[in-house]
Amino acid sequence: MANTLRLYLTCIRNTLDAAMCLQNFPCQEVERHNKPEVELKTSLELLLNPERLRAIFQVLICRNEAEKCLIEASINSLRISLKVKQADELENILTKKFLRFLSMRAEAFQVLRRKPVQGYDISFLITNYHCEDMQKHKLIDFIVQFMEDIDKEISELKMSMNTRGRLVATEFLKQFM
Amino acid sequence: MAAIEVHQFAQCITCHAWNSDHSMVAFCPNNNEVHIYKLFQDKWEKLHVLKKHDQIISGIDWSASSNKIVTVSHDRNSYVWNQEGSEWVPTLVILRLNRAALCAQWSPKENKFAVGSGAKTVCICYYEQENNWWVSKLIRKKHDSSVTSVAWHPNNILLATTSTDGKCRVFSTFIKGVDTRESKTGTTSDSKFGEQIVQLDLSFSWAFGVKWSPSGNTLAYVGHNSMIYFVDDVGPSPLAQNVAFRDLPLRDVLFVSEKMVIGVGFDCNPMVFAADESGIWRFIKFLGERKTPSSGSKYGSQFSGAFGKFYGQSKYGVSNDGVETSRTSGGVHENCINCIVPIREGSTSRTTRFSTSGLDGKVVIWDVQNQEDLLDYL
Repeated sequence: MANTLRLYLTCIRNTLDAAMCLQNFPCQEVERHNKPEVELKTSLELLLNPERLRAIFQVLICRNEAEKCLIEASINSLRISLKVKQADELENILTKKFLRFLSMRAEAFQVLRRKPVQGYDISFLITNYHCEDMQKHKLIDFIVQFMEDIDKEISELKMSMNTRGRLVATEFLKQFM
Repeated sequence: MAAIEVHQFAQCITCHAWNSDHSMVAFCPNNNEVHIYKLFQDKWEKLHVLKKHDQIISGIDWSASSNKIVTVSHDRNSYVWNQEGSEWVPTLVILRLNRAALCAQWSPKENKFAVGSGAKTVCICYYEQENNWWVSKLIRKKHDSSVTSVAWHPNNILLATTSTDGKCRVFSTFIKGVDTRESKTGTTSDSKFGEQIVQLDLSFSWAFGVKWSPSGNTLAYVGHNSMIYFVDDVGPSPLAQNVAFRDLPLRDVLFVSEKMVIGVGFDCNPMVFAADESGIWRFIKFLGERKTPSSGSKYGSQFSGAFGKFYGQSKYGVSNDGVETSRTSGGVHENCINCIVPIREGSTSRTTRFSTSGLDGKVVIWDVQNQEDLLDYL
């Protein structure tokens, strides 16, 4: 694996480890409700600020312009949004279709968000309930493994797509021989 | 080994409390029930299930001398449970809250208890003999966010609170007819109910887990930015010390003695902080031993598993060149510890035993008596 990818993933892993300190926290605004604060953003003080500036509650980790990871944390929930590398139009289409396929099956993945945050390809939403049911380090492993696999998956799809295209073209052109 | 007993009571425990002789434990298994277990010849058996709340219970406290249990819940209600024969009888407390209650604690004299809430208020509840119910007086408009923790000063008047606005505050809770004047110390004698004695703005993240030292001279609380704060001379000119540590933030603290504090939290392993002769606090060590993680078990992600199934192929196996898997704690607790309770023997101010409970559903009893390097601080 490329060294830069390792650094990128280690950085994400460490940030997630620090940010995933979630607890059960009832809603301050609505009676008898308990909602992920990172989605509602009604009480600004409940979002985790890495710096003392009240407006910043996000960590953006970029490998390059095309590949980045946005981590937003709050007292009872955490949102991770990924932008996957797309070198050409074919990769663009493949990523879009593939991640849409996954997002539509979000309930099977539990932590997957049905709709990505604007500007990103795929988002995860982790709440305190996930941390109660599952071990935290396994959750982090899952996210990192997902990021590792997604690039591999896309390039494999691209490869088989090209092979198939070549095969079809060969078969098609055979009839003119 | 500092952990002397480990009990797996449930899947997940939000809070727990002991009765006066530690033969019974009450805890909330992360739902709307309170389970009470009793020790019968080294076997814990479920004795009672208290069902009255309809949302998750966030705080339990068991008064030692009057043998009453107070429970508070996210459903905005609080009950005081009184044992009559073999039954626990609930009495509703009129909290007058419109948001969830988050924490509760009996005062040292057990004639009052405090409830912190998501309505940014603190309720001080006391028993009204003539009406035969518990009523509450509210401290309003002092907190800017939810009150996460409350702690009583040994003098039964002062109450310390922490809030998600990052501040720690100390209030006077003198209630006419419940408290008497002579029980108060000289400096606070002219304060009335709800008066703010001091506001400490040390943390720039959420504050949790406030506690007083046994003598009431020192106050400790934690911030979510992996800091613990120690405050001496609580009053007009407090002296504060900030101690930063490199591990994950804490959730709750406990004074074992005047010079030693145990902190528990997201690191799943209790941390020991102690003050030296000059009164400087520092991090000493982790109480549980930390095993080095065994050669990281293979983790087939759900993602590649799903894909393997979908394509009927096995080529999407787990790669070997992945980044190293996260460290596992390897300690006694496997998930965040969110509650630490002292186990006091007799009337001594020294506590050497305490219990912790966490999201992994374990109640662990620890003893610091057999830790030779810590004996100086006891």
